[in-house]
Amino acid sequence: MNIHEMTALEIRRGITEKQFSAIDVVRAFFEKIYEKEPLVDGFLTLCREEALAKARQIDEKIKAGEPVGKLAGVPVAIKDNICTDGIRTTCASRMLQDFIPPYDATVVKKLKEADAIIIGKTNMDEFAMGSSTENSAFKKTKNPWDRKRVPGGSSGGSAAVVSAGMAALALGSDTGGSIRQPAAFCGVVGLKPTYGLVSRFGLIAFGSSLDQIGPQTNNIKDSALALEAIQGEDKRDSTSVRHPVTEDYMSTIEKGVKGMKIGVPAEFFDFGLDEEIAFSIKACMQKFKEMGAVAEDISLPITKEGLSAYYIISSAEASSNLGRFDGLRYGYRTENFNGFNQLTEKSRSEGFGEEVKRRIMLGTFVLSSGYYDAYYNRAQKLRARIREQFIKAFESYDILLSPASPVLPFKIGEKAGNPLEMYLSDIYTVNINLAGLPALSMPCGISRDGLPVGLQIIGPHYGEEKILKAAYALEQELRLTAMRPTL
Amino acid sequence: MKISVEDVRYIAKLAKLSITFEQAQKMVGEFEGILTHFESIDRLDLGDLRVELQDLNTGTVLRKDEISVFKDKEKLFLNAKSMRDSYIRVPKIIE
Repeated sequence: MNIHEMTALEIRRGITEKQFSAIDVVRAFFEKIYEKEPLVDGFLTLCREEALAKARQIDEKIKAGEPVGKLAGVPVAIKDNICTDGIRTTCASRMLQDFIPPYDATVVKKLKEADAIIIGKTNMDEFAMGSSTENSAFKKTKNPWDRKRVPGGSSGGSAAVVSAGMAALALGSDTGGSIRQPAAFCGVVGLKPTYGLVSRFGLIAFGSSLDQIGPQTNNIKDSALALEAIQGEDKRDSTSVRHPVTEDYMSTIEKGVKGMKIGVPAEFFDFGLDEEIAFSIKACMQKFKEMGAVAEDISLPITKEGLSAYYIISSAEASSNLGRFDGLRYGYRTENFNGFNQLTEKSRSEGFGEEVKRRIMLGTFVLSSGYYDAYYNRAQKLRARIREQFIKAFESYDILLSPASPVLPFKIGEKAGNPLEMYLSDIYTVNINLAGLPALSMPCGISRDGLPVGLQIIGPHYGEEKILKAAYALEQELRLTAMRPTL
Repeated sequence: MKISVEDVRYIAKLAKLSITFEQAQKMVGEFEGILTHFESIDRLDLGDLRVELQDLNTGTVLRKDEISVFKDKEKLFLNAKSMRDSYIRVPKIIE
């Protein structure tokens, strides 16, 4: 088997059993990158020299008989809104096109401690605002299953490079579906952990009460392994988990779903859901029943309105978070200006792209005098109601099933001129962020046109173990995660 | 919801963004569509619902007010446009 086709687990085993070296792994993946990257445009920065240096370190450790981390030698791609010490981190924005962080995000530090090898930074929608990766200031990433289509977003670069076999694992961030929807579009596994399970320190903020970092992988076990490596309390993130959580997902992942109670919300089959997607999700429900789970239709009445609450809250938080980019201390600065106000206004207007400006303005509007109660306060109340609704559902069910996206991967440019239509494609994922729940998206079918279909498995707070167990059982039945696009 | 070009330009000013009249005109239509969609929340009776912003398990987290020195200053200042000694030199901001 070619190294670049191996799972993260297989790569680690191969290295520790001395079948091949970490250097071999880096060389194999970069060979694939040089071949496929011109077709996919998934990376913004490649770190070949740094990757080779880290590989040498790992090989020396193995040679000396020293223990290695749980991701030893695994090539990892990092979304370009996660800070990497000494490596350019742009958020796919002109605003940060030259920004070189002086520190590592906690997740990056943890990956390095686990002996993972960082191979590059991936393309994304600017400041993670978008559902197609078309909002990048630098390039348009193509979906490896059909290069005329988008890879989803905002972590579209990460999903595409994993799907195309250019990285064994990638990190994305998810504010309203940005890990799960691109995973669904590119036929990979995307996990958004419970809010607080993974540190956000070093993640350039979009919507701080919603953002969460998580892995995109080619299979479920790699997702579990990556989560084990990056999760846990971080004193540098005051919202990170402070009570004991499951640290080992691998030992229970094969236990099956017998007796598991699964709810399938009827409301998630509305809103113009593509027929082929609906069919695939129903087929998964049947598969779970055949495996001994109890799967039933349930009702979650507030689903549609969640989208409004999400866009109000996330835009409000974005308008505040992005206030720091003023052209003064770091980031893009306009060339000609007269006074401080013009410096700030011009730097921000030239440095931010259209969608980012739209969200900042929406956020400014909903927080402005006279509108705060009507929009922001009501959205916060609705958020509390949605959270209650999910918590109540999880009193009766272990997990919930839904589509990850109402539509199959759409064509590049198809929705670019209509922001509201683009927002509507997040209908199944945003409520999970509002409630702070964990959810995973995995391939569950292939459409007539050969495009991947994504299933979303939602769990209770800190219920990643249940999600991964169910996802693994289904993966073994469907055998779809091994499928790769032919580029 | 109806909004005007003036409303859009006022919001842009609050957001410290400069937009042209043509851009503002385009945004009026987009914002009206989005804000009308937002009004879907009005259909729900949310009453006196309590708003919890954080997971109750985390609570308020404080850290000690202690000075710590960032070791690699060179790296830290790499992103500043201009330096004089250990100060970041910025354009004149007080008029």
